[in-house]
Amino acid sequence: MDLLGLGSKVDIDFILDSQDQRKQVEVKVDDNNNKRSLQYIYYDGEDVGGSVQIKLKKNSKVEHQGIRLEFIGQIEMLNDRSTIHEFINLSKLLAFPGELTENTSIDFHFPSVEKPYESYIGINVKLRYFLRLTIIRRFTNTIAERDICVQQLSQYPEINNSIKMEVGIEDCLHIEFEYNKSKYHLKDVIVGKIYFLLVRIKIKHMEIAILKKESTGNGPNIYAETETIAKYEIMDGAPVRGESIPIRLFLGGYDLTPTMKDIQRKFSVRYFLNLVLVDEEERRYFKQQEIVLWRKQDKVKTKNSAKQYAHFEPPNPPIKPEDSAAGISGSGNSPVNGRSSSGNNSDSTSD
Amino acid sequence: MSMQKTADSNRSSNAGLSMDNQEKLLADALQNVRQHAFAMKRVLDQQSVMEGLKHAANMLGELRTSLLSPKNYYELHVVVVEELHHLELYLADEFEHGRGSHDLYEVVQYAGNIVPRLYLLITIGHVYIRANELPRREVLRDLVEMCRGVQHPLRGLFLRNYLLQCVKSLLPDTEEDNQEESKTGTILDSLDFILLNFSEMNKLWVRMQYQGHTRDLQRREQERRELRILVGTNLVRLSELECVNVERYKTIVLPKIMEQVVSCRDPIAQEYLMECIIQVFPDEYHLNTLNEFLKACRELSSNVNIRNILISLIDRLTAYSTREGTQQNIPENVELFEIFSEQIAEVIKSRINMPSEDIVALQSALLNLSLKCYRDQYEYGNKVLENTRKIFDNIASDTQVPTGTQTAKELVKMLKIPIDCYDILDVLKLNHYKLGLQLLSYRERHTVCMYIINGILDKETIIPTAEQVTQLFELLSTLIVDQADNPSEASRQTITNEDFVEEQNLVARLYNNFQAVNDPDQQYHIIKICQETFKNGGLERMRFTYPPIIMQAYALTFRYKTICEQDEKWEKKCQKLFQLCNQLVNTLTKLETNDLPLRLYLQGALAASEIGSENAETIAYEFFSQAYTLYEEQAGDTRAQCASLTLLIGTLEKVTCFGEENHSTLRQSLTQAATRLVKRPDQVRTLLLCTHLFWSAQRVNESTQKSEQVRDGEKVLACLKKATKLTTQIMDQSVQVQLYNELLNCYIYYFNQNHPDIDITVLNSLIEKLQSETSKISSNESDEFIHNQIKKTFDYLRQQSQVEKFQGLQINN
Repeated sequence: MDLLGLGSKVDIDFILDSQDQRKQVEVKVDDNNNKRSLQYIYYDGEDVGGSVQIKLKKNSKVEHQGIRLEFIGQIEMLNDRSTIHEFINLSKLLAFPGELTENTSIDFHFPSVEKPYESYIGINVKLRYFLRLTIIRRFTNTIAERDICVQQLSQYPEINNSIKMEVGIEDCLHIEFEYNKSKYHLKDVIVGKIYFLLVRIKIKHMEIAILKKESTGNGPNIYAETETIAKYEIMDGAPVRGESIPIRLFLGGYDLTPTMKDIQRKFSVRYFLNLVLVDEEERRYFKQQEIVLWRKQDKVKTKNSAKQYAHFEPPNPPIKPEDSAAGISGSGNSPVNGRSSSGNNSDSTSD
Repeated sequence: MSMQKTADSNRSSNAGLSMDNQEKLLADALQNVRQHAFAMKRVLDQQSVMEGLKHAANMLGELRTSLLSPKNYYELHVVVVEELHHLELYLADEFEHGRGSHDLYEVVQYAGNIVPRLYLLITIGHVYIRANELPRREVLRDLVEMCRGVQHPLRGLFLRNYLLQCVKSLLPDTEEDNQEESKTGTILDSLDFILLNFSEMNKLWVRMQYQGHTRDLQRREQERRELRILVGTNLVRLSELECVNVERYKTIVLPKIMEQVVSCRDPIAQEYLMECIIQVFPDEYHLNTLNEFLKACRELSSNVNIRNILISLIDRLTAYSTREGTQQNIPENVELFEIFSEQIAEVIKSRINMPSEDIVALQSALLNLSLKCYRDQYEYGNKVLENTRKIFDNIASDTQVPTGTQTAKELVKMLKIPIDCYDILDVLKLNHYKLGLQLLSYRERHTVCMYIINGILDKETIIPTAEQVTQLFELLSTLIVDQADNPSEASRQTITNEDFVEEQNLVARLYNNFQAVNDPDQQYHIIKICQETFKNGGLERMRFTYPPIIMQAYALTFRYKTICEQDEKWEKKCQKLFQLCNQLVNTLTKLETNDLPLRLYLQGALAASEIGSENAETIAYEFFSQAYTLYEEQAGDTRAQCASLTLLIGTLEKVTCFGEENHSTLRQSLTQAATRLVKRPDQVRTLLLCTHLFWSAQRVNESTQKSEQVRDGEKVLACLKKATKLTTQIMDQSVQVQLYNELLNCYIYYFNQNHPDIDITVLNSLIEKLQSETSKISSNESDEFIHNQIKKTFDYLRQQSQVEKFQGLQINN
C-alpha cells in the first residue's frame, strides 16, 4: 500500500464488525484471474462498522492533520482509467489533527449504508466498494483501502414465464425449444427440451452455451464484450423428426453474476443462452435467447464441489474422424480447428 | 423466427470407417482407457472423489468415438464398463461407511460432454439408489429420460444397455397397492422404464439402417444383427419381472411392445423382436394373447419372413401342450386351432406374393399343432389338409408340385407329420391326406409312401380290417402299381434294381401287419383285397407281394381248422383258399425261377395234408404234382434240381393224407428221379433220403382210413444197396469216403429202427470198408471236415458198442 515508502512509519489494518460470522467470497482482483483475494460480503442497507488499527513502527511518531475514513462505491472504466465515477461517498473524520505516538485503534460506524449495486469485475468495467482511510499529512497522505464485496439480493420475480419458441430454417430444420423460465437465480437449474419438428440436415451434435455480454460506455463509445461462460453438450448424434431432447443445466458451478442493466448509465451485463446445432459438415446453426440472472439469498450451503467440478470439465470438442484418420486432412487450416478456436465469439447476436 | 447459420467453407466428409486401421484404433482407445482408469484408481485410493470422477470422465470420453466398428466399439465398451465398476464399488463403499458425498448426482452433470456425463450419471444414480440417497422411482425416470440426449445409434444403444445393466437389480418389482413400496416405485414404474428404454433403443437400432451409403447396406445389416441382442435384452428384463402376470402382459407389456414393433416398419427389427417375444415370455402369456399377437403379425412389413415367426409360435405352443403331464394346460377358452387357422388364412390372403413353400410350411405347423394338441379331433387335421389342397387348386388345379422344389420338400415334411404322431389307423381317418399326397410328383410320393410303410413296421401297427387295408393301398398305390408320371419306371422295375427290391420287400413285409384278430372271415377279405390290388402291380412286384398272401392264406386254413366246430362251412372256405393259392402260385410260375412256386406248392400240399379236410388228398396231390412238374422243367441246373428234389422228398415224407395209390406213384417217381440225377453224389444222397419214403412216410390205409407208415423194408434195402453200388463207382476218393460215412449212418439208423435185414454183420462190413477207404486218403486240410464227420460216427459207435444190441460190433482203432 505504501507506494513511496513514506508511509512506512505506519501499518493500517481494518477490523470489520462481526468478521467471524460474515461470509467471505473469493474475488478475482484483476481480469487475468490469477490474483484472488477474499472479501467479506455485505448487503444493501447493512451497517458497515468496525475499527481501524494503526500500528506505528518502533519509536516513531506520526504527526497528522486529521484522520479521515470514507466509504466509497465507484465504477471504474478499465479501458479508460481516468474516468472514475463515484456513486457513493460517505466520509467520517476519525481524529482531529494531532500526533500519534502509540498504536491506536479507532472504531467507526456507517449506519444503514445504501449499496445499490452489486460488486462487479468485468473485462472493461469494475464496480467496487471499499473503505479508504486517509491520514492527512503535510506532504503525502497515508492512505489505506479495504475492498468489500456487495451482493444484491433479489426477491423471486413475480412474473417468470418460460421461454418457448419455434425456430428453423425453411425446409431444412425446424425445432421448438423451451426453457422452463426466463429468470434464473444463480444457483438455479435450467430445465428445458428441444423438440425436433423437421430434420433434413445431418446433425452431429447440439450444445447450449451461456454467453455473458458486457457493454460499457454510452453514445458512440460503446464497448461490447462477449464471453462464453459455459459450453454444454446436450445431444450427441442425429435426431429424427419427433425426437425430444431434454436439457438440464445446473448454474451453480459457473462464475455468474446477476444480470445488470444500465448501471449508472455506465455499463450493462446481460446473459444469453445460445443453442447451437452442428451438422456433419461443421456448419453451426444457433439461436440466442436472453435470460435474466438474479441473486437469491443463500440458504443451502454452497456446493463447492460443484464449482470445482465445473471448472475442470469444459466440454471437449467432439471427436472428429479427421483428427485421427492419418493423412486424410491433417493440414493446418482444418475447418475443425478453425471453428473451435473462433467459436467463442463468432456467433452474432440475433433476436 | 429463424435460426442463424454460420457458413462453413471446408467440407469434411469422406471420413468413412477404414477397416484396415480398426485394430489400431481399438488398441489406441483401449490404451487410453487403461491409462485413465489407472489414474482414476490411484486417486480413488487417496480418497479423492472429485479427481476420480474427472479421470473417469476422461476415460468415458473414449466412448465418444465414431471410428470404431460396432464389434470393436463393443470391445471398448466392455473394458470401460469394467473399469467404471471400480468407481461404482468405491462410491458404494464410501456410503456403507457413511462417508458418501451427497451432491455427486448434481456434480457429474457439469461434465461438458454428454456421453461421459450420462455414463457417470447412471453410475452415481445406481449407487445413490442403493444407498437410499435418492428416491428410486425418480432416479430411474430421470436416467431413462436423460439418455434421450444420445441420438447416435451406436453410442445410444450401448449407453442404454449400460443403463439397463445397472438397474437390473434395482427395478421395483412389487404390486402397486403396497403403500410402503409405492413411494420408491412399483412394478408399473419398472414397466414404464423398460418399455421406454426398449422403444428408444429400438428406434436407434432401426435408424442405423438408414445411415450411410447404400453400397454399405449389406455390411450395415450385418452389424445390426450383431447388435440386436442389446435391444432384445429389454424384453428379457421384462420377462424376468415377477409382477408381470398374464393380465399385465396383455394390457400393458404386449401392446406397448407391439406398437413399437409395428410402427418401426423395419423388417430386421420386426423379425427379430417377434421371435424374441415368442422365446422370452412364458407359454401361458402367448396363449392368452394369441389374437393380439397374430393381428400384429399381419401388420408387419411385407419383407418380414412371417412364416418363421408363426411357425416358431406354433411350435412353441405345440411343445408346451404336449409336454409331459401338462396335456390339459391349454385353457378351455383358448381355441388354439381356430385362432391359428383363421389368422394364418388371413396372413396368406393378405400376402399375395407369399412363396408356396412358405404357405405349406405354415400349414404344416398348423397340422402339427392340430395333431398334437387335439389328438382326437381328426376334423382339425383334415381341415388343414383340405385347405392346403384348396390353396394349390386355386393356384393351378390338378397339377403336381414339380419334383425337387422347395415346395415339394415342405409338402413331404408336412405329410410326414401325421405318420410321426399318429399310427396309420388314425392317419387313415384323415381322409384328405390322400389328396395332399396326390399333389406330389412321383419321387416325393415315393418318399412319403416308404415313410408310411416304415412307420407301420416300426410301430408294429396291426391293420385289422379289409376296409382299412383298402384305404391304405389307396395311399400306397405309388408303390403298388405302375405310375404314369414315372418316366424311368420300365427300366427301374426289375429285380436287379436294389431300390426296387427294397421297396417291394417293404410292401411285402407290410402284409404281415394285416391281421384280423379273431375274425378269419375278415382275414379272408383282406387276402382277397390284397390279391386284387397286387395283381395290378405286374409280375415283378408279384414276386415280392404274392408269397406273403399265399402264406397268409395257408395260415388262415389252419385258423379255420381250429374253429371247425363253430363254422360248418370251414372246409369250403379252405377249399376256396387253396384254389386261390393255386391260382396265385400258378401266376408266379411265369417267373424265370421255378424255385419259389415250387416251394409254395409244396407248402400248399403240406398245409392241405395238415388240415385234413375232405378233399385234402386231391388238393395235396394237385399241388404236389404241380411242384413235381416244375421240378421236371428245371432241367439244366443240376444243383437246383438236386435241392428241389430234396424238398420234394422231404415234403412227401411229411404229407400224410395220400392214399396208397397216390403215395406209391409219387414215391416211385421221386426214387426214379433220384437215380436220374446227373451227379453220382447227388444220386446217392437223394436215394438215401428216398429210403425214408418207404419207411417212415405215412399214407392212408384204405381199410382203416387211418394214416400209417409204409415200412417197406425191402424197398429200403434196395435203395440202400443201389446207393452203395453207386458209391463204389465214385472216382473222387474223399467224396467217396464221405458218402461211405453217410451210408454207414443211414445203415445205423435203420439198424436202430430194427430193419429186419440189417444186422451187426452188415454194419461191420461197412465199417471195415469205410476204415480201409479212409486210410487211403491223405489227410490234408481240405478233408478235415470229412475226417471230423467220420470221427463223430465212430465216437457214436464206440459209445453204443456197450449196448447189448450192438454186441459184436467191430471197430479197428
